[in-house]
Amino acid sequence: MNIIEIKDLSFSYRKNTPVLKNINLNIKKGEWVSILGHNGSGKSTLSKLIMGLLKANEGEIIVDGIPLTEETLYEVRSKIGIVFQNPDNQFVGVTVEDDIAFGMENLEIDREEMVRRIDLYSKKVSMNEYLKKPPHQLSGGQKQRVAIAGILAMDTDIIIFDEATSMLDPKGRDSIMEQIRELKEDGATIISITHDMKEAVYSDTIVVLKEGEILASGDAMDILNNKEVLNASNLELLLPLKLLHKLDEANINNEEMRDILWQLSLNK
Amino acid sequence: MAIKFEQVSYSYKAMDGSVFSALKDISFDIESKGEFITLVGETGSGKSTLVQHMNALIQPQTGSITIYGIKIDKTTKKNKKIKLNPLRQKVGLVFQFPEYQLFEETVEKDIMFGPKNFGVSEADAKERAKTVIKMVGLDESYLKRSPFNLSGGEKKRVSIAGILAMEPDILVLDEPTSGLDPKGRDNLLKLFKEIHKEVDNSVVIITHDMNTVYKYAKRVLVMNSGELVYDGSPERLFFEGDLDKWNLDLPEIIEITNKLQEKLNIKFDEKPKNVDQLFELVKGALR
Ligand SMILES: Nc1ncnc2c1ncn2[C@@H]1O[C@H](COP(=O)(O)OP(=O)(O)OP(=O)(O)O)[C@@H](O)[C@H]1O
Ligand SMILES: Nc1ncnc2c1ncn2[C@@H]1O[C@H](COP(=O)(O)OP(=O)(O)OP(=O)(O)O)[C@@H](O)[C@H]1O
Ligand SMILES: [Mg+2]
Ligand SMILES: [Mg+2]
Repeated sequence: MNIIEIKDLSFSYRKNTPVLKNINLNIKKGEWVSILGHNGSGKSTLSKLIMGLLKANEGEIIVDGIPLTEETLYEVRSKIGIVFQNPDNQFVGVTVEDDIAFGMENLEIDREEMVRRIDLYSKKVSMNEYLKKPPHQLSGGQKQRVAIAGILAMDTDIIIFDEATSMLDPKGRDSIMEQIRELKEDGATIISITHDMKEAVYSDTIVVLKEGEILASGDAMDILNNKEVLNASNLELLLPLKLLHKLDEANINNEEMRDILWQLSLNK
Repeated sequence: MAIKFEQVSYSYKAMDGSVFSALKDISFDIESKGEFITLVGETGSGKSTLVQHMNALIQPQTGSITIYGIKIDKTTKKNKKIKLNPLRQKVGLVFQFPEYQLFEETVEKDIMFGPKNFGVSEADAKERAKTVIKMVGLDESYLKRSPFNLSGGEKKRVSIAGILAMEPDILVLDEPTSGLDPKGRDNLLKLFKEIHKEVDNSVVIITHDMNTVYKYAKRVLVMNSGELVYDGSPERLFFEGDLDKWNLDLPEIIEITNKLQEKLNIKFDEKPKNVDQLFELVKGALR
């Protein structure tokens, strides 16, 4: 079943400069989809359209069977959590605790449950010792962790991560990836915008944007092995696949090597 | 010596009176020429706090920093005779969040602000804006745009362009490649390296990307819980350092090489630094 359907979607911020052109995209329930593409290709804009934060010029967005309109805006939003590219855009509260609570308040989750989740998710992102701190006094990576905790705590069916781990240290990034995997196992639909090919490996499917259009979409590893598509949108091959392509170009065919490099590209 | 840290400590004071010690007894030097340093360390370890000391945006509470002969310590703020402005031109700092740096109504004005502030004429500043915008991979049409209506990566590029336009002696970049697409990341790192070679300046880059460290750095500093725990070569860090304790990991090329050797049950004679070198080794092993 498709949880998100996007039909003939077009959008522009300014007259005569379309930013998204005729986007058609279906996302299945429980799927993890990565959106990749060069800077300015329209990834964040697409995520804001899905949230109803921007209004499409043309086309239609259907979330969980509900067409997105002014009347259905709040209903649709209650199904989606989004971690913004800049965590500062997410902070409204005086303390970290307030900020984690904010999204839940909008969903009218009761007090006791809120307290439980603040504790749980602040620990999951290792920010439980910072609950009373003002969010603007955190380091860059700490801000990202708090922003992630706030959205995880909402426990929505769909979660959009817009470069949510771009400022995390390697271990912090691994731990967030692990949690996204858990969310997926619990049935959530994940939309992850990223420039990190190693993160994209974990997704089921990949959509590549280029200058506001879908350049390619499909099975994650098929796309990550497609040199032409990756090059065309400023992306890169994973290191093991780069090596594999080099061996292919030199006509060196070794089945064992091929298997090993594929496994390594899957982080195995 | 361009910048000398001597036993620098710094604590943030919260409104409730509590104190958080972000830098603890830090001593090291940066030369004015020939350095290409990466600064790494886990989230919250004090990297951004440290680099904001390098152009005296923050002043130490104990210890001192000497920047191009000017000594900065806890008395500096009250001392009206010390002019910090010239230091900001000599040591150009790109912030972790571009939003903290962008404020003018157009990208062009934003980029021109720094140079004009340091005495460059209007016409020359305009020329510089045209040059640097292309250096960061954006075309001239961006100059007329508002810096607020850009994508995340575009903002990042503009914030870098603004500091490049100041032509600082030391270029300090706080996570310049986070949010850039892979090609943009490679191009900008190459650009910093080119500038470094051409004008023989010093460069300091904060990053979480160990590939960047291994590929570009001559020297690595590691911060951990406010302390400087490592100052040395990338090779020694990755082959001998306590990466787990410092929340770091291996560059991909080392990790993949290790795993390949394990799976193929062989040992390469050399340690490859890039995929081309690894390819040659693998070719040899398959022969
Ligand atoms: N508020 C705005 N007003 C006008 N144009 C905008 C605005 N926000 C973004 N744009 C433009 O729309 C295009 C798409 O921007 P978007 O933020 O969606 O890109 P992105 O794919 O998320 O890029 P990045 O990887 O840099 O975050 C860019 O060319 C950008 O300059
Ligand atoms: N204005 C502030 N007030 C109080 N504490 C602060 C302030 N700014 C930073 N801190 C704290 O000081 C410590 C160091 O922060 P800093 O920003 O230097 O870390 P960082 O190494 O740059 O981290 P990151 O990789 O996440 O950007 C953090 O624990 C942070 O919470
Ligand atoms: Mg974006
Ligand atoms: Mg920082």
